[in-house]
Amino acid sequence: MKSAPAVVAGLVALPTAFFLAFFLVPLAVVALASLTSGEGDVTFTHYARVLFDSYHWSILGVTFRLGLYTTVICLVLGYPLAWYLVRMVEWRLWRRVCVILIILPLFTSNIVRSFGWMILLGRRGLVNSWLVDFGLVDRPVRFIGTETGILIGLVYILLPFVVLTIGNALAKIDVSYEQASADLGAGAMSTFWHVTLPLSIPGAVSGAILVFALAVSAYVTPALLSGGQVTVLPMLIFQQYSSVFDFHYGGALAITLLAFTLAMIGLASLVGRMGAR
Amino acid sequence: MRYRLSVLLLAASCASMIVVGTSRAEETMTIAVPGANWGEAFDECVIKPFAEENGVAYRLELGNSTTSFAKLQQQRAAPVIDVAWMDGGISEMAYEEGVVETLDPARVPNLANLLPQAVAEKDGKHFAASVGFYSLGIVYNTELVDEPPQSWNDLWDERYANEIIIPAPANAAGIPFILFLDRIWNGKSDLDATFARLKDLKASMYFDTSGTASNAFQSGEAVIGANFNVSAWDLADKGLPIAFLAPREGFWANDGRIHLVKGSKHRELGEKLVNAALTPEASACLADKLYLGPAVKDVEVSEETAAKMPWGATGSIDSLVQIDWDEINAQRATITDLWNREIAR
Repeated sequence: MKSAPAVVAGLVALPTAFFLAFFLVPLAVVALASLTSGEGDVTFTHYARVLFDSYHWSILGVTFRLGLYTTVICLVLGYPLAWYLVRMVEWRLWRRVCVILIILPLFTSNIVRSFGWMILLGRRGLVNSWLVDFGLVDRPVRFIGTETGILIGLVYILLPFVVLTIGNALAKIDVSYEQASADLGAGAMSTFWHVTLPLSIPGAVSGAILVFALAVSAYVTPALLSGGQVTVLPMLIFQQYSSVFDFHYGGALAITLLAFTLAMIGLASLVGRMGAR
Repeated sequence: MRYRLSVLLLAASCASMIVVGTSRAEETMTIAVPGANWGEAFDECVIKPFAEENGVAYRLELGNSTTSFAKLQQQRAAPVIDVAWMDGGISEMAYEEGVVETLDPARVPNLANLLPQAVAEKDGKHFAASVGFYSLGIVYNTELVDEPPQSWNDLWDERYANEIIIPAPANAAGIPFILFLDRIWNGKSDLDATFARLKDLKASMYFDTSGTASNAFQSGEAVIGANFNVSAWDLADKGLPIAFLAPREGFWANDGRIHLVKGSKHRELGEKLVNAALTPEASACLADKLYLGPAVKDVEVSEETAAKMPWGATGSIDSLVQIDWDEINAQRATITDLWNREIAR
């Protein structure tokens, strides 16, 4: 037992080194670039350029709107799915198959899946030919190049994260609480609203935070499904790094996105904690 | 104790990997090339024959021009890459940044084979060797477009509304294309007028990578637009009803180039490789495989390949419009910003 602290230190050292080398150092490089001019002087001009320009606010608006809608839709779709998996499936094998079906898309690259959606959502794609065949629309709906198209892609890609976190929370709830609620005369609906739902909120909140953070920082899906007609902040950042080569302005954009995302997440977890009380 | 031992072992094995890594780098050349069919063709046409002849071991490092440029900047102190492919534009930036070596015609004699349009020089010094041209012309779906247009202005025709694709500034051709239109429309530069017309274009999509463009043509999302001869004929070879034509106002062209990396440990071999890329045989091979227009003199290509060259079926290298990259790079930030505000929202 004596060697325990050394063992712990040894175990922690590797991930810490990894975290330092591959996360903190690059982040520091970006932050430093955002605060310096080409000559190396410390300056806030890049932030001023970002924040005092309504264009950037409108792009932030689009980015966070898409993030918020994605999160809400994922929660609405993900909760019943998780419920079905945890509470309704009785056959274990089928449950496993369902879980695999949900996780499987995560094993495929984002790029491939987004290209897939480009084909499905195209004017001559499967979705549109169904819509026209069933007489739901007269002419093909434009999905590519709209926020709706990006939203569909993001929801598809991020849904598994919500199902897994909520499913996990639901599975952990002790059934005796629900039995007690029923014994005391509450109906199924009332038990759900007053017992089960509040107990599963932490899982839903952590799933929502995960989805929101991934949605606002997503690059590949918006870049492909926007057809270049909708811009989200990660696309603007990528553009500065890959084609304009202004690492200072690009860095300031990146740090701005990070700050706003952290603020939103902080707010959400505050609300979540208050809700749990 | 066992944990400490394993950590030590891990550290030791990491250290030994680094040592092996450096000793291997001294024997093996590292060549940065683009991915997919471009890298394969360059390997097949140039590197493999060169390596066999000289008994050289090599390793390909795949990545697009921007990525290779970024790697060269990071490796500045001790470069791992010996020879790097970068396209025109990035090539100039790499030279400006001092990560590529100038080429000495006495040591790379085949530089004399280059056509005048293909010479990459600054202050009388070669800093790159062109391996072939590609161009941005009108690409269209042959099943859905009966009479292909001959002018860029026809893209504004109502017939093609919402079926057009053109490059965004995130694509290497995006900014040159805007400057090219600016030139043919206004003679002198008038970006406001150019953007007003661009805003009128009923585009289906603005592409960032040529993969996106190919995908759009494949799925029918795009029926006509500005795209590369190399990508269009590649799709046609895969059986898609796609063709390329050279519009009458001309078309913007660029070239792929190879560079000797400054501080490379295999300078002599690197020079030999650059030299080997500048032969009519290598050029003809690249023309056949990628439809790159030869940058060196006296290249014979088959009739089928000749019809797919960047200058179109009937043109010649003289019909290519090249825009000075320094001029393009100077306006990069301004044009990107204008695009973001006017078009991409």
